[in-house]
Amino acid sequence: MTAQTVQQGELVTVIGLEVHVQLETETKIFCGCSTGDADEPNEHVCPVCLGLPGALPVVNEAAVEAAVKIGKAIDAEIPQETRFHRKNYYYPDLPKNFQITQYDEPICQSGELEVRVEGERRPIEIERAHLEEDPGSLQHVGGGGGIDSAEYTLIDYNRAGTPLMEIVTAPDFRSPAEVRAFLAELEEVLEYLGVFDAERDGSLRVDANLSIVEAAEADENGELSTEALESANRTEVKNISSHKGAEKALAYEETRQKNAIQRGRVVEQETRHWDESRGITVSMRSKAEEKDYRYFEEADIPPLQVAHWREEIEIPELPRARRERFREEYALDEEAASKLTSTKQVADFYEDLASEFDPDLAATWVADELLGELNYRDMAITELEDRLDEVARLVELVATDEITAKNAKEIVLRTMLDEGAAPDAIVEAEGLGKTDEGEVQAAVEAAIADNPDAVADYAEGDDGAINFLVGQVMQATGGSADPGTVNQLLRAELDD
Amino acid sequence: MSEDAVTEKDVRHVASLARVALADDEVDRFTTQFEEILDAFETLEEVPSVDRSAELTNVLRPDEKRDSLSPEEALENAPETEEGRFKGPNVS
Ligand SMILES: [Zn+2]
Repeated sequence: MTAQTVQQGELVTVIGLEVHVQLETETKIFCGCSTGDADEPNEHVCPVCLGLPGALPVVNEAAVEAAVKIGKAIDAEIPQETRFHRKNYYYPDLPKNFQITQYDEPICQSGELEVRVEGERRPIEIERAHLEEDPGSLQHVGGGGGIDSAEYTLIDYNRAGTPLMEIVTAPDFRSPAEVRAFLAELEEVLEYLGVFDAERDGSLRVDANLSIVEAAEADENGELSTEALESANRTEVKNISSHKGAEKALAYEETRQKNAIQRGRVVEQETRHWDESRGITVSMRSKAEEKDYRYFEEADIPPLQVAHWREEIEIPELPRARRERFREEYALDEEAASKLTSTKQVADFYEDLASEFDPDLAATWVADELLGELNYRDMAITELEDRLDEVARLVELVATDEITAKNAKEIVLRTMLDEGAAPDAIVEAEGLGKTDEGEVQAAVEAAIADNPDAVADYAEGDDGAINFLVGQVMQATGGSADPGTVNQLLRAELDD
Repeated sequence: MSEDAVTEKDVRHVASLARVALADDEVDRFTTQFEEILDAFETLEEVPSVDRSAELTNVLRPDEKRDSLSPEEALENAPETEEGRFKGPNVS
């Protein structure tokens, strides 16, 4: 937006994010308890993550490595020295009555990540990213189960101590759609780095600050001054757990604030809770101010000096770079390139196929057929991890013309996914091997002989009649003939 | 700190952060006590500051699992439990 286009009273939405992501490590950030799924509550706990007196937290090297990888991927600076702090608050999800986090010396500073919305690319500044521990999980029991009305609280500390990275952006977003695009891009980057699993329940949690400012406050580049940003009252929206949820929650909050302003009311500066099931944000009792957290250095954990790890730790080619390379190297359009790089596993699989078969055929098979069928079944490619060679074999059967593309997709791929069978076995069992040419030719001739009406219609210029005849041949050959070839053979006969 | 005397308001605020309910007479008592405690800590101002041990950085452990407590051990000291979880009062 430029100053020239600003109209009287036009409003701009300003959003900044705090994104919490769980890091994929074997063990917790400060103790050796497993971060894996537990069968029972309070099964993965020890004196450290239960906050028992005298326990000593020791930092998990893998969590620090993951943080450095993230820093490298978002072009952030890793300072010479970084340290942990205690954030004090009394809530039963924290057994110690403080959370170990990083306050004024975070492990990543001033990075950025580019978002693409409606074809336009825009860098989003990432002010900082820091390591901290996840709290435990609470259940509010009785009295209808609401937080306020519950009779008592049950606590499971299995999650307590799972490593989290909190990523804080500048207030650079101008729409909920940009937020959604950013979160999707961030998830992709984190998955490429192998430090994050989007499928895991609760692995992404977002708090968002949203305010509405007068567009007239913007300078000629559309930038808003710090004063303009700070003078507007903002709300913090909590409890967002997906990129779709973020877009919905913030669209709601944007409308709510704009309505208030247009009716001449003041937007109250407050914390609001996103109620996903009702699709609204609701006011939360005001929470503590920053000074109330009484941050101080965590004396049990000596500082980290890991700036040099940035050069030592390798990170893979990131989604954006890979997307651009795919477009050039395999001549893919933007949509296909974007689907094929949506996760590292998909991209790796595509490259394996493209090295053996026609890259276009491979692209259709991975981006459209495979991802389409997986999506329909609400499955992720990770669930097929051990069977990708079977999918490759299926593509080979199509590439070498042994079965038709239609049968490959509609029968073989679907049976593979639904029944777990291997492609060759399905082809065999269903008799899908392509019929030899003689048989197809015989079926073509038979269809012409048996359907004089259709033949007459075709001769009179009814091109639709050919489809009827193709159908007859397909039926006679049990669907194993290639419809395109049948069409050509029929026309060759009829046009003689 | 002694120049900013502890007020009744400070005591009530700290109590609310700690989720402790105080009766009015307790507020008076704690106001005096806070003051005394802060005065005692003033003594620390006289201790010369010392640099921390410079070598002690990057104390890290490998990402390897260690035995956790059993759920029974974990809950051993809990005053109340239910279905393997710690049980506490309603919080909001
Ligand atoms: Zn533990």
